[in-house]
Amino acid sequence: MNFLTSLKISAMGMRAQRKRMDIIASNLANIETTRTGKGGPYRRKIVVMGTKSIENFDSVLDSQIQGPEIEAVVEDQSPFRKTYNPSHPDADENGYLLKPNIDLVVEMTSMMMARKTYEANISAMKTTRTMILKALEILK
Amino acid sequence: MTDSLSYGNTLRVLKDAIRVTQKRNTLISMNISNLETPNYRGKDIDFKTAMDRAMTPGQNVRLAKTDPRHIDIASDTGIDVEPDEEEGEWNGTNWVNVDHAMMKLTENSLLYRTATDLLLKKIALMKEVIREGGR
Repeated sequence: MNFLTSLKISAMGMRAQRKRMDIIASNLANIETTRTGKGGPYRRKIVVMGTKSIENFDSVLDSQIQGPEIEAVVEDQSPFRKTYNPSHPDADENGYLLKPNIDLVVEMTSMMMARKTYEANISAMKTTRTMILKALEILK
Repeated sequence: MTDSLSYGNTLRVLKDAIRVTQKRNTLISMNISNLETPNYRGKDIDFKTAMDRAMTPGQNVRLAKTDPRHIDIASDTGIDVEPDEEEGEWNGTNWVNVDHAMMKLTENSLLYRTATDLLLKKIALMKEVIREGGR
């Protein structure tokens, strides 16, 4: 276990949040998409976070050190939003149009959470960096 | 490291302090990076206990070997990693508390700075002694 492990872990956290941002951006961009390749409106996607041990042969005991990782991206199975819009080509016979099950507020909130977590990881990385530089000063 | 007869205990204690804070930094970084991981429980080292153990000779925990041909594992295992008791507050996703973790990160970094600064001071003193003694 050393400083490089700290940096690696912070990097893993940043990567997970960045990937999560991709998914949130995709949800936000498709908030009005009513046609997809699979048919029907776009379904909201959610990331599932898990942990991953850092593989390091020279310190097997450090296997307790676990960084976050995106394990899967799943589709939110909640019902679609139903709006009345008979003139839309994708509307059903009663004039109702199904729109993606995306809530703007929810997406914005998770976006802020992702950003804050990303920033927290950067702070941790900066602290580690300061410590490394301090250690190098001993050599002077 | 150096023999305690000629240099005193300072270097050894500082070395241990640096080692413990370094390890702690990794754990705190890990807690911060897992802020959004469901069901994650923060881990930490108790600085005082770790230092007490490191400074008491013969207290370092060694792993038992079931075969003499097994490779020795470094005495680094003397530091216990435990679930963090203080941040045992469920926030809906997991048990990590961001302000608490950031505070610990800063506190630990300051401890590290103190230890390295003291080490630098000690080395400067030793250099001074060598230089003046050689005159």
